[in-house]
Amino acid sequence: MARMKFLCDADRCIECNACVTACKNEHEVPWGINRRRVVTLNDGKPGERSVSMACMHCTDAPCAAVCPVNCFYTTADGVVLHSKDICIGCGYCFYACPFGAPQYPRVGNFGSRGKMDKCTYCSGGPEPDLSTAEYEKYGSNRLAEGKLPLCAEMCSTKALLAGDGEMIAEIYKQRVLKRGYGSGAWGWKTAYRETVAI
Amino acid sequence: MQRVATLLGALLVMAALWPASGLDMSARAQSPIQADGQNPMGARPTADSVNEEFLFKQSPKITGRISIPDGKAANLIQPQGRQYQMFREGWLPWIGALVILGMLAALAAFFLYRGRILTDHSQESGKKILRFNAFERFTHWMTAVCFIILSLSGLNYIFGKRLLMPLIGPDAFGALAQWAKYSHVYLAWPFMLGVIFMVVVWVRDNIPNRIDWEWIKAGGGFIGSKHPHAGRFNAGQKGVFWMVAGFGAAMGATGLMMLFPFAVFDVNGMQVMQVIHSLIGVVFIAGILAHIYIGTLGMKGAYDAMGSGKVDLAWARTHHDLWVEQEQARTASGPQVASHPAPAE
Amino acid sequence: MLTKRKGGEASRSKHQAVAAGLAAGVLDRRDFLRKSGLTAGALAAAGSLQLGSVRKAEAAGSSAVGPDTVIKKNICTHCSVGCTVTAEVVNGVWVGQEPSWASPINRGTHCAKGAAIRELVSSDRRLKYPMKLEGGQWKRISWEQAIGEIGDKLTALREKHGADSVYWLGSAKFTNEAAYLMRKFGAFWGTNSVDHQARICHSTTVAGVANTWGYGAQTNSYNDIRNAKTMIIIGGNPAEAHPISMQHVLSGKEINRANMIVIDPRFTRTAAHATEYVRIRSGTDIPVAWGMLWHIFENGWEDKEFIRQRVYAMDDVRKEVARWTPDEVERVTGVPGAQLRRVAEMFAKEKPATMIWCMGNTQHTVGTANVRALCILCLATGNVGKPGTGANIFRGHTNVQGATDLGLDVTSLPLYYGLVEGGWRHWARVWEVEYDWLQSRFDEIPAAPGRKGRSRKENMEAPGITSTRWFDAVNLPAEQIDQRSPLKAFMVFGHGGNTVTRLPEAIEGMNKLELLVVADPHPTTFAALDARQENTYLLPICTSLEMDGCRTASNRSLQWGEQIVKPAFESKNDYEVMYLLAKKLGFADRMFKNIKVESNVPLAEDILREINRGGWSTGYCGQSPERLKAHMRNQHKFDLVTLRAPKDDPEVGGDYYGLPWPCWGKPEIRHPGSAILYNTALHVKDGGGTFRARFGTERNGATLLAEDSYSKGSDLTDGYPEFTLGVFKKLGWDKDLTAEEMATILKIGGDKPDTVSWATDLSGGIQRVCLDHGVSPFGNGKARGNAWNLPDPVPVHREPIYSPRPDLVAKYPTRPDERQFRVPNIGFSVQKSAVERGVAKSFPIILTSGRLVEYEGGGEETRSNPWLAELQQDMFVEINTGDAAERGIKDGQWVWVTGAENNSKTKVKALVTDRVGKGVAFMPFHFSGWYQGKDMRDFYPKGADPVVLGESVNTVTTYGFDPVTGMQETKCTLCQIAAA
Repeated sequence: MARMKFLCDADRCIECNACVTACKNEHEVPWGINRRRVVTLNDGKPGERSVSMACMHCTDAPCAAVCPVNCFYTTADGVVLHSKDICIGCGYCFYACPFGAPQYPRVGNFGSRGKMDKCTYCSGGPEPDLSTAEYEKYGSNRLAEGKLPLCAEMCSTKALLAGDGEMIAEIYKQRVLKRGYGSGAWGWKTAYRETVAI
Repeated sequence: MQRVATLLGALLVMAALWPASGLDMSARAQSPIQADGQNPMGARPTADSVNEEFLFKQSPKITGRISIPDGKAANLIQPQGRQYQMFREGWLPWIGALVILGMLAALAAFFLYRGRILTDHSQESGKKILRFNAFERFTHWMTAVCFIILSLSGLNYIFGKRLLMPLIGPDAFGALAQWAKYSHVYLAWPFMLGVIFMVVVWVRDNIPNRIDWEWIKAGGGFIGSKHPHAGRFNAGQKGVFWMVAGFGAAMGATGLMMLFPFAVFDVNGMQVMQVIHSLIGVVFIAGILAHIYIGTLGMKGAYDAMGSGKVDLAWARTHHDLWVEQEQARTASGPQVASHPAPAE
Repeated sequence: MLTKRKGGEASRSKHQAVAAGLAAGVLDRRDFLRKSGLTAGALAAAGSLQLGSVRKAEAAGSSAVGPDTVIKKNICTHCSVGCTVTAEVVNGVWVGQEPSWASPINRGTHCAKGAAIRELVSSDRRLKYPMKLEGGQWKRISWEQAIGEIGDKLTALREKHGADSVYWLGSAKFTNEAAYLMRKFGAFWGTNSVDHQARICHSTTVAGVANTWGYGAQTNSYNDIRNAKTMIIIGGNPAEAHPISMQHVLSGKEINRANMIVIDPRFTRTAAHATEYVRIRSGTDIPVAWGMLWHIFENGWEDKEFIRQRVYAMDDVRKEVARWTPDEVERVTGVPGAQLRRVAEMFAKEKPATMIWCMGNTQHTVGTANVRALCILCLATGNVGKPGTGANIFRGHTNVQGATDLGLDVTSLPLYYGLVEGGWRHWARVWEVEYDWLQSRFDEIPAAPGRKGRSRKENMEAPGITSTRWFDAVNLPAEQIDQRSPLKAFMVFGHGGNTVTRLPEAIEGMNKLELLVVADPHPTTFAALDARQENTYLLPICTSLEMDGCRTASNRSLQWGEQIVKPAFESKNDYEVMYLLAKKLGFADRMFKNIKVESNVPLAEDILREINRGGWSTGYCGQSPERLKAHMRNQHKFDLVTLRAPKDDPEVGGDYYGLPWPCWGKPEIRHPGSAILYNTALHVKDGGGTFRARFGTERNGATLLAEDSYSKGSDLTDGYPEFTLGVFKKLGWDKDLTAEEMATILKIGGDKPDTVSWATDLSGGIQRVCLDHGVSPFGNGKARGNAWNLPDPVPVHREPIYSPRPDLVAKYPTRPDERQFRVPNIGFSVQKSAVERGVAKSFPIILTSGRLVEYEGGGEETRSNPWLAELQQDMFVEINTGDAAERGIKDGQWVWVTGAENNSKTKVKALVTDRVGKGVAFMPFHFSGWYQGKDMRDFYPKGADPVVLGESVNTVTTYGFDPVTGMQETKCTLCQIAAA
């Protein structure tokens, strides 16, 4: 079974934000919730790089570990999903997430911050695949349709890679060998406790 | 010993988290471009590109610029989440279990060793003296009820998924946890109010003094034969008061930070708030367990003070002699409810 | 732990799930949003308040399968790259977007705008029905009333003030068919004041490039950049303006380990990926180009053989370049000689090398000269007409190339036929109207103090007013405006009001107009900024995603877009509105004589066929709707780099993708289009060609025809002039014409049949025979180092009007005052006055402007799209850390940016960054809706206001116009910044 991962090739990323709006488009994500975002490092200085970031679907995911209600689960594809029915909106997963992925409909925590929302790797939630209920709560389920996340599929410069970890690491390696430079697989150490060795 | 370990643990975690919190100045300090910014001669943007390792050397987390107003989103990678995970899932359940179960074990051992501290019936005077008025009792019980629910719902954050979820299944547990969360965030307010009331009403009688030292030296009466002098509150009770005031304030402060996330702190600050809240929480619970023990099972007659508000004068003289003197000196009859004599035994 | 297996039951698509709801007629897309667990309120308590309420997911029953998803392909409307948009439509609702893997241009990808484009169509911020101002209030009216009242007012104005009193502003977001129709409309109305956004983006490119080697367009293609070993991007930021182009740029950079050099005043997001970044002072592109060329000539790195064969008067260039020693270049531009030498060496020696530019180069008072200088750099190094080389000009809007080609321009007729009798007669023949009738539509201009009179014919051949100056033609005293009357009415189709410089004066103009009509999917700034009370109409136009028609991408490829969904709300498409107006004005029958009109909607295919019938000059003759549709069907067959389909394919065999113009001859002869212009290595039938012999055959004793250079397989092995029947006769090729073709030619030629040329021969015979002989119909000429018909035949540096270096103005002054395009251009006086008043002291910061990736153009459309608007919520100014520190300005705080004219000011947020150098500030140009600190949201029609409003940079931009095209100066003015 594939182990799905994201890899953002920062030497390709131009911060065009296509991944961000593709995600909004695919899942009708409302204003204020950003399942994916692009952060620019060293902004405006030589050495500037942008990295597109969302839930990395970590190995031993911190969010899942700290969740007081165990609403997270990992699919056979290695995708970290959660159940909005069980989520109590406590916000702990955000404190634990190294990538700032979990999002909440509300800022304040009175009663609840609302059901946590995050990148699903375009693979829905615990409801039956491609059901209306799944779409309403989590957005569409491209993985079940045999497609990859739209953010990566639509990435303007093919910087954002999605797919089986070994395959995308191989693609990245080939790229770096071809062009002679590469700033690494951002976040992999933290998320997967491994790096892409070239 | 447990407390020392707990405290050490907390300090360690905080030490790990603090440097990462708050300021992201460090990331901005470096500026390879010339000061005049005019023509960065020899700028080879591809060759000079930053990488993760380089940025982690400059700062414990990687922060950049983002156009959306949510400042948190500008954090690209903050591996402290992993440390927080380690604390919350690796240490906290053990710490919590050890502290609370340890306290229960200690109390049980004490009970077995000492049994219930009784006041001999024969010693009872039959005269009652008013120890806590209605407002004081209301405050106490409001706070107490809130505390118990907050404790249980709080412990649910740590132990619910481990103990309860396997028993009742995820769906029911999810709903229960949701209610627990609501109660936790809403009852936090009357609890904080209660703590404030307590401080206002009782702080006068809880200022530590020399007598407390004597009381402590006498081990509250366990050491030596003579029961030590005590004012309205003895040193042990003062300890409980200051624990409630101090821990209550800390729980309130850290809790408020979590009710209004990111209002003051960034994500690392929030992690620290979490750590403090949970560590103090379990210690607080253990402390209150002892308080409950001594106020109910541990000592006969103590409960009445908060139950009816009235205690037997003899009991009062034994345990709070100076207070009784003071009260009686204030009014000839004292504030005791003496209009009808206590029924003879 | 919950676990769930994936895979297995993948037959249902999400859209079937969606369809289930749609079929039941209870859900539209908005309902999904509402019902979605994502909307804030829905989440809260409701679902989870009841104990044990964890909802069991109700699987949409398999019986509830709705209608099948229909896939529709159209073209993204946001830039000129030409990305295919693949839409999934269910029951007439656009429910999803999929990657367009088959398109060789975008290969599945999009930028932020393309990935969010679905929202444009169903945005609830669209203009929903026609509206008019009554007493300053917006009132809903019917289409009949709108067209009726507008038509009556136009007729009255025409009678009183003449046809030239109405300005027709078209759009680069038009389809080719709509652009053509609008130009035709202008001709039938009787004015040449018909313009569009090309004026303010690449008009100088078109003029500069066309005057150098023949055609005003990108010579190669985005895809071809993959072949380059060196690329210079000067005055362009494709990472934000053309993100998909970066796929090709970065691939090329990686595959070839190519040099990618970015020359720009600002360290752009593109520069971040460069191998070398050169920071220059704004407005000094010519010294930079000449500085490079100085090193090239000095070291003999030029391509001498190429220059000998294919370039005219390079020696004139040498004379000018000799003045630009490294010291002088560094003094003027700030670029150290060593760096420029390195860049020059790479460009000259590590070939193929390509020059990429955009509006940083064109939007200057010296825009045309800038463009020419860069072209000359390509010519000197032999970097034109081969794969991996050329002037890769990234144009702006989706169809700005097509709209330019089709004559939304004040100086030409469709497809660059000049405003001369021959041009008019050509189109009169195509349109099958009498030339005399067309002439009768134009004003006769009586002589007046300060101007000569013009007959109808002369007026018909006089260029109109440029869109950059429309408000001057309203505001200036009548005697300064060289036409019958100042402008009285403004008909704006698909064009923002905040895109012209000197906005305070533009607003004054808006307020003075007797009639303002805005036909657009959104109200635009025109509807919100002015204090108008009456005589203002808003017509809701659908986006081009809601209509059929083709678009020409920057690389000259035509792509057919099919209607994805029906026009939203009450909006109508451009064709229908123009038809309704023509009908009301009484010339619909003439105008749509050969175009089928179905219930008031002219057929796009028929319009394109009419373009094909007349589009010989630019090779728009071979792209029939059938061929273009076949290309969209067979997108996956085209090669990524060469853009060519395999020769054996039955439908598109041998074609280049989108039949990039010139696509010679009639569609039936199946010319493949020309992916790379002027490429002599290919046969003309394979898209090869030569430089166009556009400027004669000889000048001052030197030949203007190529020497010893010709395209592969050419029967003529030297330079040759453009082909006419007369030339054919000399070569004996007239015998190759069929009798039918000859008959057509003779009919066109009348008593002078020998003058009928490749461009006016409606039979296509001359072009057909040319192809058979392997020659370019337009001749085989030399590109020009000296373009004698331009104000500066060899480009010379001229300081910006508001120069930050007044010490250089005396040596490099701007051109003298002169009347251009019917209005005075007093740049010289303004520059002189600015120097005398010491403006550079009180406004010490250079202000430049540019794009953000999330927004486009004036930005109304994109700022109304919440998916995009969320990403840029505040107008800002980038200010250097040093400048900010001096002024006590912190990142994110409000500041006032004040301009050097009109006491103008804007309140924006400070973005403190070293992206801009010391003494430089940058503002994006997409914002509007705030004016000098005031929020104008209430002036928009209710519900049609964009999500995000902000100050327009053009409130503080200033005077300055290119003498050749009237291009405005947006990239270099002066400002001051203070904390608010």
